[in-house]
Amino acid sequence: MTAGPYFGMRIPRLEDAQLLTGRARFVDDVDLPGLLHVAFLRSDEAHGRLRGIDAGAARARPGVVAVYTALDLGDYWRPGPLLVPPPPIPGLVFHTATQVPLVRDKVRHAGEPLAMVVAESRYLAEDALEDIAVDLEPLPAVTELEAALEPGAPLVHEQFGTNLAAHVHQVKGDYASARSKAHALIARRFHYDRGAAAALENRGVVAQWDVRAEELTIWDTTQAPIPIRNGMAELLGLRESQVRVIAPFIGGGFGPKIMMFYPEEVLVPWAAIRLGRPVKWIEDRRENFYATTQERSQIHDAELAVARDGTIIGVKDRFLHDTGAYDPYGLTVPINTQCTLLGPYVVPHYDSEFTAVFTNKPIVTPVRGAGRQHGVFVMERLLDLAARELEIDRVEIRRRNYIQPDQFPYDHQILFQDFRPLIYDSGDYPAALDKAVELIGYERFVGVEQPRLRREGKHVGVGVVSYIEGTGVGPYEGARVTVEPSGTVRLATGVGTQGQGHFTTFAQVVADVLGVEVGQVRVSTGDTREFNWGTGTFASRGAVVAGSACHAAAVKVREKVLGLAAPLLGVAPNDLVLAGGRVHRRGSPDQGITLGELARKANPLRGAVTPGTEPGLEATAYFGPDRGNAASGVHAMVVEVDPETAAVAIKRYVVVHDCGTVINPMVVEAQVQGGVAHGIGNAFYEQLIFDANGQLQNASFMDYLLPTALDVPTVEMAHVVSPSPLNPLGAKGVGEAGAIPTGAAFAQAVEDALAGTGIEITEMPLSPGRLFELLQAAQGGVG
Amino acid sequence: MIVEGSYPLPGSPDVIWDLLMDPDVLAKVMPGTKALSRTAPDRYEGTMGVGIGPITAAEFELTITLTDLQRPASYTMQIDGKGRFGFTRGTANVELASEGVGTVMRYRADLQVGGKIAGLGQRLLDSVSRMLTRQGLDALNRELTARLT
Amino acid sequence: MAATRAARLRHPYRDLGGLRVNGQHTIGVMVNGTRYERSVEPRLLLSDFLRHELGLTGTRVGCEHGVCGACTVLLDDKAVRSCLMFAVQADGRELRTVEALGDSDQLHPLQQAFHETHALQCGFCTPGFLMTLIPFLQEHPDPSEPEIREALSGNLCRCTGYANIVAAVRRYAEKSGTRELRS
Repeated sequence: MTAGPYFGMRIPRLEDAQLLTGRARFVDDVDLPGLLHVAFLRSDEAHGRLRGIDAGAARARPGVVAVYTALDLGDYWRPGPLLVPPPPIPGLVFHTATQVPLVRDKVRHAGEPLAMVVAESRYLAEDALEDIAVDLEPLPAVTELEAALEPGAPLVHEQFGTNLAAHVHQVKGDYASARSKAHALIARRFHYDRGAAAALENRGVVAQWDVRAEELTIWDTTQAPIPIRNGMAELLGLRESQVRVIAPFIGGGFGPKIMMFYPEEVLVPWAAIRLGRPVKWIEDRRENFYATTQERSQIHDAELAVARDGTIIGVKDRFLHDTGAYDPYGLTVPINTQCTLLGPYVVPHYDSEFTAVFTNKPIVTPVRGAGRQHGVFVMERLLDLAARELEIDRVEIRRRNYIQPDQFPYDHQILFQDFRPLIYDSGDYPAALDKAVELIGYERFVGVEQPRLRREGKHVGVGVVSYIEGTGVGPYEGARVTVEPSGTVRLATGVGTQGQGHFTTFAQVVADVLGVEVGQVRVSTGDTREFNWGTGTFASRGAVVAGSACHAAAVKVREKVLGLAAPLLGVAPNDLVLAGGRVHRRGSPDQGITLGELARKANPLRGAVTPGTEPGLEATAYFGPDRGNAASGVHAMVVEVDPETAAVAIKRYVVVHDCGTVINPMVVEAQVQGGVAHGIGNAFYEQLIFDANGQLQNASFMDYLLPTALDVPTVEMAHVVSPSPLNPLGAKGVGEAGAIPTGAAFAQAVEDALAGTGIEITEMPLSPGRLFELLQAAQGGVG
Repeated sequence: MIVEGSYPLPGSPDVIWDLLMDPDVLAKVMPGTKALSRTAPDRYEGTMGVGIGPITAAEFELTITLTDLQRPASYTMQIDGKGRFGFTRGTANVELASEGVGTVMRYRADLQVGGKIAGLGQRLLDSVSRMLTRQGLDALNRELTARLT
Repeated sequence: MAATRAARLRHPYRDLGGLRVNGQHTIGVMVNGTRYERSVEPRLLLSDFLRHELGLTGTRVGCEHGVCGACTVLLDDKAVRSCLMFAVQADGRELRTVEALGDSDQLHPLQQAFHETHALQCGFCTPGFLMTLIPFLQEHPDPSEPEIREALSGNLCRCTGYANIVAAVRRYAEKSGTRELRS
């Protein structure tokens, strides 16, 4: 790796000024002459047969420009794409059912769009929704996973004759035989429920058709502008070059803003072309609770087989995964669960089988963590229970089962979501555990403080858990680096950015390679006119995959610089140094040329060049890793529980994290801190509650509670660095890490605080109300 | 959502039965109901407006169909309400049993609620329903007392 | 969905529930030192007025029901949620939005503190945090961490986990202490 002045440094972000002054452009800030506004009529019913829609009165309302129903879409009506096909796992069953732009025959979840109103203002468009008469025959809804698979259950998709969306079985070793050798078998049922991604910015789309240029511009709150451009061109029958998708500043992504081809995303550009006027739709918060994808309901029946000394013999897991009304994102989430359960441990025998289930609830696709939470929760809980049963310390049982630093690459012998074998690239799990235990003061807490506080009548507990996060998956990203005659270095890449700091971290990578100031590197992300190859921001892959592509492009430009400068300065290329925005003779800083001047020379206006010469100081490069890498970490937390009110206060939170080489520790730590906040929300406050009819009961921030500044402690952090051998930076991803093991840590700490009550936590989230119920059920309360 | 309970009323089941079949009385028993009219022997239609939490004026087109009429002991109402704030539908069973000089009315409604009132007003739905039920029964009681005296 | 933008759902002004007035009202407001006169529908939200009528898009809309705080602006120097007010209610009043703080060349010291401590990620909620903090810091020039967290508790941030925002406020307070000592 380059050892320049920026890589690894805490560089304050280059994009901050725009955001802090309110001048950054988000999608809702796009204003265009003649802009029309859209509101969607959405189904109140979770399941129902559509018999007809009468939009006549709405169309007649002054200010309404158009009202579209499924029938008005003609040939444009078609189900969305299957975004992620299932991986090639033998025996896999997968039923494809993707979302439709507007309901044509059947509503499958509350909030599905029935009609689209386009009007002169959003207010008028919403007024007109009330004019639309819908004839919808309600059908019984299916919301519970087990009930959905019962014979005779209402069917979400009749054509399959079942609500089973997928079935996958992955096996390593021979669990059935190995189990008989176990000293103890720990079997439990675990529940994990749904939450919302709840980015502060809701989704939005603005589209403009330039009739003279025959070009469509789409501003979209997407994490994946390039796939959206390509898909929209295909849908609309345009050339890819006629469509420009801009993902400007995005107010948080967290998964659901991936290339979903949401109904609104597909319809707004279509309407803009059809009407010949720019069209805008901005989701409101209530819509977001129904129309934006969600995650996390699963039920696991898991069994851990352990030897007397706590060594893991094997794990068997059978789980149900709620995919909601459609499954456009394939099996990414449950396969992540299946793989992540193995964690940093040696598990010789693994037998994991899951069934994905259609329900009359909003669609499930990855949300920060993307199924990993569940796997970690199940495994860590099983280990906690085993430790208790075998009377082994919780930390010790983990230590005994870790994959050791000399065992990498470590092959888990099952397939990961990137269709590649689940092979861990590098790691040092014992080192991370040692650091975390030391930071939280585990020994002292358990040996001295906890007994003392207990004597004072305080219910305090500690939790220490480990996890792996498979990150940095392929297929690839690209970048183009250009040195302009001004000396500014332009860097364009295709991934969208939603706050991760790409404008800074990518600039750090490039600045070091080219020896320029980091502020000289101007980064463009998320605009297909600037760069149009790539997939998007997901799976904690930005720094790993796009960052590596930026590096590769910068290296190519550096080679061009050296190749051009060497004859000019009369020295061999390896006698040249790039520093301070110049290239100069080693040892003679005054004998050199600025990169800007060199760029000008590389673009001559007259004369001749050697045939084959490429103009300018510009290069494009791509990076596609062989497979994803394994980031890892340990979370430790201390809580105090008030057994009277079931209120839980987080006293300390420690994270030791290994995301390989760190480009900007400030950014990494902030990603972890933010992830932990998300995890605390998921563990304790955030639960989308649906009734038996598929009606969401808490569709506002008044009832669906996000953690506030009072709920999230400042996380104490330390790093372990195990560089990844799979990319030139040595980086691994970090975006989701903080959110993944929080539930497991929370459960262990709360259970520890309430030791003696017999309480056992096998579900997430665990609201104070639910914890109170569990405490009551465990009886007796605490001393 | 289940709303159930019992309420002592003056008068015999027969008297109460007749009152309950009167659309004007029925409208009083269901607070917020406006202009309820009998459109068939066992069918009532009208509008109803309630405020639940942030939704200040949720208005429903209401249809009530009576079934299983066992005069004067029991009947069932099929309730179907729709409006721009969502819907409510379900059944309510009413039983009238004479007890002493009066009657005890037992009721049990099983209602589905959907749309905005479900998503935004859920927290308050139970208490609002209980309050409305209580108001309705008090109104019925007053009506009965007035007619009997 | 339908009508969440309209007046009927907004609880602090529930007495306006059901109001559907199509007339226009002329209002005059002072925003960031500039006087604007506009003709608006009575139901137009102040947040929409600022963003779409005046083009002051730094004020963000995150929930439209007064919980997230992204739309916080100063009304006669007090922090208010502009999604919970109608534009007509601001008639004759003075407003300040994030655009009134620093610009890119010269950040306001609080913005500078946010930058130095990495107190923002996606930045969508940030203007609301800043506008909440401006009056708070005037009243509490040297706030303790619990005071800061209390002050921030009405603003939601999904990215940062708040720690660096707390740090930014402390840094600002410490520096302004130094500034005062110097002056």
